[in-house]
Amino acid sequence: MLKENYLNKIKELPEPIRQLLGLVSIIIIVILSFSVLNIIFGEGDDLVKRMKLEEERIAKEKKLSELISKLPSGILVTFDGTDHHRLTDDVYEQVCNATKLIPQRAIMGANFLNHRAHEIYTINGNKIDDTFVEWDKEKGKCFAGFTVSGNNVGVDESISVSGEALSFLSTGIDTRVYFIKNF
Amino acid sequence: MEILKKYPKLFQWLFLLITFFALCFAIDVPETYKFIRGQAEFVRDPNQSTYVFLGKEVRYYAFDVFWRLPPLLGWLPIWINDSLFFLMNEWMPLEFWNEDTQEFKTRPLLLEVSRKLTFFMTFLIELIREILIGGINTIVTFTGWDWISDNPWAELPGLPWTIVTAGAVLLSYHLSGRGLALFAGLTMVYISIFGQWKPSMQTLSFILVAAPLSFMFGLGLGIAAFRNKRVEKALYPILLVMQTMPQYAVLVPAMVLFGVGDHAAVIITMVVAIPPMILLTILGLRAVPPEVIEAGKMSGCNNWQLMFKVLIPTARRDILIGVNQVIMVCFSMAVISAFIAAKGLGYNLLLALNRLDIGLALEAGLCISLIAILLDKMSLAWANKQEDYFGNLTFIQRNKNILFFVGTVIIGIVLAYIGTYLFKGTHNYLFEVPHNKGISTADFWNRGVDWIFDTFFVYIKAFNTWLIQDVLQPMRALYLRMPAIATIVLVVGAGYLIGGIRSALIVCGLTLFIALSPWWDRALVTTYMATFGVIVSCTIGFIVGTLSFQNKHTASFMLGVCDIFQTFPSFVYLIPVMMLFGITDTSVLIAVIVYATIPATRYTIEGLRSVPAGLHDAATMSGVNKFQRLTKIEFPLAFPHMMLGINQTIVFALFMVIIGAFIGTEDLGQYILKALSDKNGAGIGLTLGICVAFIALIFDNLIRSWVEKRKKHLGIA
Repeated sequence: MLKENYLNKIKELPEPIRQLLGLVSIIIIVILSFSVLNIIFGEGDDLVKRMKLEEERIAKEKKLSELISKLPSGILVTFDGTDHHRLTDDVYEQVCNATKLIPQRAIMGANFLNHRAHEIYTINGNKIDDTFVEWDKEKGKCFAGFTVSGNNVGVDESISVSGEALSFLSTGIDTRVYFIKNF
Repeated sequence: MEILKKYPKLFQWLFLLITFFALCFAIDVPETYKFIRGQAEFVRDPNQSTYVFLGKEVRYYAFDVFWRLPPLLGWLPIWINDSLFFLMNEWMPLEFWNEDTQEFKTRPLLLEVSRKLTFFMTFLIELIREILIGGINTIVTFTGWDWISDNPWAELPGLPWTIVTAGAVLLSYHLSGRGLALFAGLTMVYISIFGQWKPSMQTLSFILVAAPLSFMFGLGLGIAAFRNKRVEKALYPILLVMQTMPQYAVLVPAMVLFGVGDHAAVIITMVVAIPPMILLTILGLRAVPPEVIEAGKMSGCNNWQLMFKVLIPTARRDILIGVNQVIMVCFSMAVISAFIAAKGLGYNLLLALNRLDIGLALEAGLCISLIAILLDKMSLAWANKQEDYFGNLTFIQRNKNILFFVGTVIIGIVLAYIGTYLFKGTHNYLFEVPHNKGISTADFWNRGVDWIFDTFFVYIKAFNTWLIQDVLQPMRALYLRMPAIATIVLVVGAGYLIGGIRSALIVCGLTLFIALSPWWDRALVTTYMATFGVIVSCTIGFIVGTLSFQNKHTASFMLGVCDIFQTFPSFVYLIPVMMLFGITDTSVLIAVIVYATIPATRYTIEGLRSVPAGLHDAATMSGVNKFQRLTKIEFPLAFPHMMLGINQTIVFALFMVIIGAFIGTEDLGQYILKALSDKNGAGIGLTLGICVAFIALIFDNLIRSWVEKRKKHLGIA
């Protein structure tokens, strides 16, 4: 009865007022629906934090790739060589951070002094499990390494080989570890 | 308070706008929002959010929901792709006999159907193409390669260009008289001597296959919808979406189902050309007066006879206008289908534009435009032609056109034969002018383009810079600054105020589909470009239309110009703008403006013409001057009709913006273009096409609702 009374009252209102009420109701419904969706899908501060980290990572990569594009093509060393291809301490650290790749040549060179690693590398079909290039803040040097494992051929053994990255190869597009000193 | 009572609508609109702007200002742009990566775009990034629906993982950059809704429909393109893959490769495997290997082979039903359809379409296209320009594929289909190499005489020779030209002239004369015959003759001669004969005939063969098939299917479905309400209801939403979906977007799923080439293009052309035929068939049949139907029934007609002896002949004109529409859509698609490797003029145009050879593009574009006008005029003349039923004519009088044609065929063959002697050791120009041997004005046009750039470079660059920096970029930024909630409130509120709760729900559904897809930002960019085009086009269209209306002859002339421009496939408009403004957003927008001004002008003139003459006299008698009559009587009464023009302008602008992706915009069209070269592009292309169609349908719904209300209010419904 009460409901009917209210409905009748609304019906008795002038058309423009009823339309305005309808509009207000629709807007409220839309906003409420969005609020519900925000509770379900909104990710708040955590998202902002993650995206900021991502921004930083992109900015850092961009800076490093700019540096790489300015380096001369060829072998870059820290200890000797012509002035042109010799890395200063600053650039050495930046190149180390920018380098991701350890090509097969460098791996073969390091394996040469680690007989067992060389054996596993040969029998597993020249497969490398994992590689890393890291800057050691304490020593002020760049270290590179890799892991070889015989799991894929039934040899339950894996060896990590690592050493100082003594030289890098700059291709103009990226830099790669050229020589790992593991002795 | 008095003002509120006097102008309640104004107050409601003000309230809506205030709410919209309040929401815009209240919701900040998230710190992490960037337009370029503000979409799902199916790239992997460790900071993306994910959800799984129907077994499909969707990755996206999450934002505050008030700012951008999560792409909850992101699974749709992936699901469409997987479904198509399943249907084509796994669904209903059946044993089919293989003629080549002489054994049964298991193949999914849809794949087999698509292969058979492909074979049938390819056969039809090759048959017509070889009748027009010669070849051996049709004979090989029935015999084999060994047989044809033993009997090289069996190759179809093709028709000399003189015979096809004479055929076109005679047909045009029969349909409309000397004027059209002269135009047909000049067009065909132009095509031939400019070395565009082969691509033109390739395009024509495409239309000669697609148009009759589209007509048959469209007529059949139109009749079914006329007779059965359920069929009509089922077809209605499909027809609506197909009419507003960019033709470009339909190409992508066709590629998955039928591959690339002429056959796929013909099939997809049919999909696009059938809807207008259905609509015009229904309209035509509905317009048949009930007295005619009664008379048919009283004469003892059964249902079949009533349909084919009474209804269809009475609705002949509307049905033939449908044929006109089918032909024009087929022609337009023949050009756009170049993107999926359909041969013909469109392909040459696309190659020329890709090489930025504006001269060659202009030549191909002019050919396309001339053929489009010719086909349009011929089909319209056919629709308007009244059949002569004179029983007492002699055989020669009754069949004079056929006899003339037989005569020209004989003369054409003789001329081609003489040509073999005249042009010994070189090409027989009386048979066909090869593509690279005709007259070419390409160099002239290219030099013209160079001259334009050399002379006006500074001004063009200044205009470009001003338009992009001071107008377009701020406008784009404004659109992208709109939070999702504010946009939806605005659209839904407008729907409610214009068309009531039903309209509000419809536009809400359509907008939500776009907002929940992964391309909301791109849709905003598409809308901004279309809006800019529509505002400028409507301004030009209203001014030109109103000025033309002041004089009967200028109005007729302007309508004629609109008719001609409307027949050009949208792709052609890109040539002159690229020539003047190079590869920039300005080019796309100028093309949009030119293309969309046509309906704005046409509907303004037609709207003003629709005002009853009695009202003019009444106004003159009341002592109003010309300006008062225009502003107080003609404009208010013509406005509903003019608004339908805006509706058309929006659709035209959207189509052109999507085509403009070819130049390099960053809207939905760009993603459709990308989808064309993506093996998983079918789902993306189709979803994007639906998004564009929905943008158009939102405006369509709002404008139509307003027009209906306004007409009722003015008593002209």
